[in-house]
Amino acid sequence: MNGCRVLMVVVAAALLMLLFPMTAAGVETTNVTIGANGYIVLNNDIYIELLDVGSDMGWSAQVHFYSYQDSVGTKKTLYIGDISTSYTSGSGMTIDVTLDSAFSNGAAFVIESSKKLYVTERHAGKVETEAVTVPKLTITRTIDPNSAEIGQTVKVTLTIKNTGNGTATDIMLDEGTIAKTYKDGCPSEIDDIAAGATERIEYDLKIGDEVQPGMREMPASVLNYESESGVSDSTQSQSNILEIILETVLLPELTISIDPINYVVTCGDDVPMVITITNVGNATSEKVYVKGDLHPGVRLKGGELEPVYESIKPDKSEEYEVTLVADEEGEHVVEMKVMWADEEETAVFEFRAEKSGLEKYYVYIIAAIPILLILLWLIKRRREYSY
Amino acid sequence: MLNILVLGLGQCGNRILDAMNREAFGRGGAFAKYYTRQKFPASVKTIAINTAINDLKGLVDTRAKDRLHVPHLHGVGANRTLGKRVFEDNKEIIMSEIDKRGAFDLIFIITSAAGGSGSSFAPLLVRELKETYTNAPVICITVLPFREEGSIFLQNAAFCLKDIIDEKPTGVLLVDNQYLKKYAGDIKSAYDKINNTTARRLLFLIEALNSEMLMVTDLGDLKTVMNGGIGIGTMGFYEASKDSTIKSAILGSFKPSGLLFPTNVYKEGARAMLIIKGDKKYLNLDLITKTIEELSVEVGQVFKGVLVQRGRPRVLSLFTLNSVPELEKLYAAAAEAIRFERDRQDQSKSQLDSAFSHIEDLEPIY
Ligand SMILES: Nc1nc2c(ncn2[C@@H]2O[C@H](COP(=O)(O)OP(=O)(O)OP(=O)(O)O)[C@@H](O)[C@H]2O)c(=O)[nH]1
Ligand SMILES: [Mg+2]
Repeated sequence: MNGCRVLMVVVAAALLMLLFPMTAAGVETTNVTIGANGYIVLNNDIYIELLDVGSDMGWSAQVHFYSYQDSVGTKKTLYIGDISTSYTSGSGMTIDVTLDSAFSNGAAFVIESSKKLYVTERHAGKVETEAVTVPKLTITRTIDPNSAEIGQTVKVTLTIKNTGNGTATDIMLDEGTIAKTYKDGCPSEIDDIAAGATERIEYDLKIGDEVQPGMREMPASVLNYESESGVSDSTQSQSNILEIILETVLLPELTISIDPINYVVTCGDDVPMVITITNVGNATSEKVYVKGDLHPGVRLKGGELEPVYESIKPDKSEEYEVTLVADEEGEHVVEMKVMWADEEETAVFEFRAEKSGLEKYYVYIIAAIPILLILLWLIKRRREYSY
Repeated sequence: MLNILVLGLGQCGNRILDAMNREAFGRGGAFAKYYTRQKFPASVKTIAINTAINDLKGLVDTRAKDRLHVPHLHGVGANRTLGKRVFEDNKEIIMSEIDKRGAFDLIFIITSAAGGSGSSFAPLLVRELKETYTNAPVICITVLPFREEGSIFLQNAAFCLKDIIDEKPTGVLLVDNQYLKKYAGDIKSAYDKINNTTARRLLFLIEALNSEMLMVTDLGDLKTVMNGGIGIGTMGFYEASKDSTIKSAILGSFKPSGLLFPTNVYKEGARAMLIIKGDKKYLNLDLITKTIEELSVEVGQVFKGVLVQRGRPRVLSLFTLNSVPELEKLYAAAAEAIRFERDRQDQSKSQLDSAFSHIEDLEPIY
């Protein structure tokens, strides 16, 4: 009992220890802007000096981190959109820094730390108040569902994302088209999209009656837009494939088969025949009639040759067996016909009937009997007289 | 229908029996047995009995089930004493085999007198058969050896014949190999010829006994004939040429050339039986009667049977004799042989004794 309690306490303690770092993991965030060649001091410990701002290969800022007990520090180049860069001071404080935006003479950073952050000193460089803003749009398109029948409507979704740092304006959408399909609610002009924002546009695409069935390509959506400063740019989505299927008609469709086929039998012997009627259509068939045509020389020995079925559901089969007998030698044909609605299907069973084995050798047997008898007689006589 | 039993004893008896079985197939040749059945002129049962299995195997036309091997592997080697013992040891087997074949009206025993098995079995069988089948006449057909076959065969023939006569069969008919040697140059074909002739005559007789005849002779007559004289006789046969009279045919059957044993029928005959077969046109009954009357004066009682049958007249004569000079000669020769043999044996014995006398008082020294 005691041991059990101790165990429970230990487990509870372990659970608490697991939870503790999570509750303690509060993240302090602060935004700072540093002028070129200026620096700030965080919590009287960490120095962040902006050495340079670059714009080739995207906006970047070259930063020098150092601290009282780490006077050398490290120099890093941060890019917009990069993951954060870590620096740990000589006294053990850690910050994560991301470049939020850059201007020609300064840069704005987002700094995260587990400690509360204070800018304890600021040494100004020359900070340009007006940032250079560049919008950057991307567009993706999905069609749902991507296969549809003629007459149906599919949903087209356009997702437009501004990954730049400036608002995109005068956005014009030039949506690709599949012949004989109709767009419903597809805008040609789109409202401005702020930096980092995402716009979602949905519209219906109706597939007209004359559309050619098959795999149709929908050409890319093209976006033309401008930055606030009037610089124009464009982007486009991937093209999409829409499969257009012929309208499905609900109809029963029956097949009939005979098993086995091409059989060699002996006259007078049973010829078993299994007839299978399958509804391969997509609707139930009402009133199914089977007609059998036996040619002369073949007769029905057992089973019902011409059954009637009230209904056969799609993908369901009806199977029945009959036994035939061929009385005459030669090739025989059995024709089975299944009839439903106004349609019919035919199956043919061909088989060859051969003379019975006995009949074939009849002459020989008859000839052999007396010879055999004579032989037996001779043997018997020989034995009678051999001692 | 007469029920007749024919027993062939020993090699000689077996062979004559086989010849009878062959004759019963008619003119079919060697393959007759494959497509036809034996047709005996009566209900004839045959059994070949022998101690030598090889002799039985050598038979051709006798059914396997009609061959009885009396176990003493390869014959008794002409030893009649041994033969008699083998018979006594196997009497039940032999008699039960005979018994299986039913009842009989007439029994023939065919044997050579000179061998071991047949000659020793024959007298003992006569005794047994007479006891079992009291009403059936038992006739022994006894074959005498070639005289040059050696003293043992001669002795055997002498003692066998005596033993048979002692058992008082209905009759003994002699067949003399020596006399019939004239038939062929070599022994093998002589045997065949003698066997066939003997077989044919026996069947001729059987047929006559079993048939409706114009002039009747029967089993009773046969008995009477066989009882005549000293109970020993033989057979003669004659087939007439186209235009000879029935009389000459009858007389022909008495001629020495047709006899199976050398005898002068006119002088020694006691009783006779004549069986005449032929087309009716030849069978002048008056002439037959007259001829037979004439014969009776010399031969004694002559019974006759006449059978109408296709073909030229054929006559079988069967006699018993009052005296048999030829037999006497044979016995004399046998006695001579025995004496000679005994002297020789004595001589050899004394010679051996005198040889042994050299070491009489001595002991071997090592
Ligand atoms: N006519 C005739 N005589 C034969 C025949 N075979 C053997 N003999 C005679 O029969 C005598 C010998 O008797 P077998 O019949 O061979 O002797 P067996 O009765 O078989 O007795 P073992 O052989 O001694 O046991 C001899 O005199 C032969 O000449 C034959 O086929 N025909
Ligand atoms: Mg033998």
